[in-house]
Amino acid sequence: MITLRKTILIAFVALTLFAGCSYNQPNIAAGDRRNFTDGIGRAVAVTSNPQRIISLAPNVTEILFALGLGDRIAGVTGYCDFPEAAKTKEKIGDTLNPNLERIISLKPDLVVVSTASQLENLTRKLDQLAIPVYVTNPRSVREVTVSIRKLGEVTGAVDRAMAIADEMERRISAVEGRVKGLPEPLVLYVLQTGPLITAGRNTFINDLIVLAGGRSISGDETADYPQFSRETVIARAPEVIVAPASHGSELVKESDLRRDFAVTPAIRAGRIVRVNPDLVDRPGPRIVEGLENLARGLHPQ
Amino acid sequence: MKAETLIEQEADQSLGASVRSYLTKRRALVVMTALCSALFVCAFASLAIGSEHIAINQLFPALAANLTGTVSRLSREQEVIVFGLRLPRIALAIGVGAALAIAGAAFQALLRNPLADPYVLGVSGGAALGSIIAIIFATELSLSRPLFGFAGAAIATLVVYRLGRREDDPTHLVLAGVVMSTFLSSVIVLLTALAGDVKLRNITLWLLGDLSSGTTEGLVFVVVAAAIGAIVLATQSRALNLMMIGERDAFALGVETARVRWIVHLTASLLTGAAVAAGGAIGYVGLVTPHLVRLAAGSDNRLVIPASAIAGALLVLFADTVARTALAPRELPTGAITALVGAPIFIYLLIKSR
Repeated sequence: MITLRKTILIAFVALTLFAGCSYNQPNIAAGDRRNFTDGIGRAVAVTSNPQRIISLAPNVTEILFALGLGDRIAGVTGYCDFPEAAKTKEKIGDTLNPNLERIISLKPDLVVVSTASQLENLTRKLDQLAIPVYVTNPRSVREVTVSIRKLGEVTGAVDRAMAIADEMERRISAVEGRVKGLPEPLVLYVLQTGPLITAGRNTFINDLIVLAGGRSISGDETADYPQFSRETVIARAPEVIVAPASHGSELVKESDLRRDFAVTPAIRAGRIVRVNPDLVDRPGPRIVEGLENLARGLHPQ
Repeated sequence: MKAETLIEQEADQSLGASVRSYLTKRRALVVMTALCSALFVCAFASLAIGSEHIAINQLFPALAANLTGTVSRLSREQEVIVFGLRLPRIALAIGVGAALAIAGAAFQALLRNPLADPYVLGVSGGAALGSIIAIIFATELSLSRPLFGFAGAAIATLVVYRLGRREDDPTHLVLAGVVMSTFLSSVIVLLTALAGDVKLRNITLWLLGDLSSGTTEGLVFVVVAAAIGAIVLATQSRALNLMMIGERDAFALGVETARVRWIVHLTASLLTGAAVAAGGAIGYVGLVTPHLVRLAAGSDNRLVIPASAIAGALLVLFADTVARTALAPRELPTGAITALVGAPIFIYLLIKSR
């Protein structure tokens, strides 16, 4: 009995040591490192100008490509479909289910995670293997520009990041200036019907609606994506319905919206605004494009 | 007549319910009147409450106006909320609850097993799988969900029946059912993993029971199914009474056991398929309701089946009203509430029967 336990223990220790050795070495060899504090306050040591970056979220992939780091990306998720070049990169699994073995075998010198993906466990495992993990954590549209600047510092693409972030801030301010003083239409955001799911206070889409000069009828909900009462929608009388536009499969059908909310001012005036989900869900460079589209939809004049 | 009384008492004992004297017209009348009035009161209360307030003193005249075809004092929005949202949803809750509870009562009587219910037997799993296939692949067809649901339930029933059938030993069937339902739920997990992101979300929510997005087709289908099921099973309830003591004895007493079995199985699949397709997989209704009814009214199926229908309707209506009002304007999955109510009741029954 004791021998068995001992054997298992020895095997375990040996395996751990082996794992430690084999993945520590390339990082030590990579030379000088700089310390950063990531979006959730962790200290991360990253080699200057990392050459093998793995992105674990579509918005991170978009930021990296925008920073001109396309050829330094070693792996992306199956959801990373923009820009076109991202599709040809090595896939390391889903955003929510990355394949740890493949990540390790790609020998990354930086893994970038977005908090939206809830990868605490994976982060911890990669930490144990001494692979640097940088977590971005933008919680509003304006914070996206901050996260782009910081990623620019981490990856050594500071100038490009500054230029992108400045341009994004200019466009956000331009939208704000245009809708300032205009009446704020009441907005229902429909993530899906059957059952009806909408967006709560702490979501990007709510932030976008406010910046675009509207007010969401579910803007005071504490849950991010609550299942919502249809009778409350009818009683609160939204003037515009915003729904993701589908590419490929039908997410929210026009006919369902017309049937379920026929009595609302929005349907009676025919005001359904379609937004490209990739432009409003991904806290990356294209989110300003989503904001401009939404603002045009809410204030067409 | 005397033999039947004795048999019913034995059947009572075999199901662990309290032993009652044989069914009298008076008791049946008392039970059904009590349940029906409770359902009526509950339905009216449910119509009056919701995330938006509508005064009771406006609701009565509005109902009267709607019946007589005159114009009510409600605003256009309130009109839609009461007659377009709450009323169909209440009808759906009643239909789904009745269908599931009748199916449960029929399975429990036929299999002489207190654990038998559409879920345990894999019939709900079949219905859920059928409906999910309809959600993923056949979204354009308006009646696809109820039809696929029924087909799935019927196929699951047939397979379980083939696998688990042993003369006079119903435990085999329950065992086959358990295997079938775990198998089907893993197939469902696999399908949802393969389906796209957004559809997956849709399905997971729907699997917990969702009465908010019922369609008119689903409502009509489930109400018609519940009515047909109740009538068909009412014609079989005497035979089921006899079969509760054992199929061989029932056969000796002149019951065409094979025919009864087929009729009951098919009817229960139809009921389950329609209920699951219309309202998602709402658990515990088929399991708990017949037990409660037997506890209160004895185990004569001539009363248990119709009384279970009303009691099941009551349970789902109550659960759904809680689901849409407790955290308003947020809504909760109806199946979570029936499980919260149903599981403690079942545990109580288990402890009590020891």
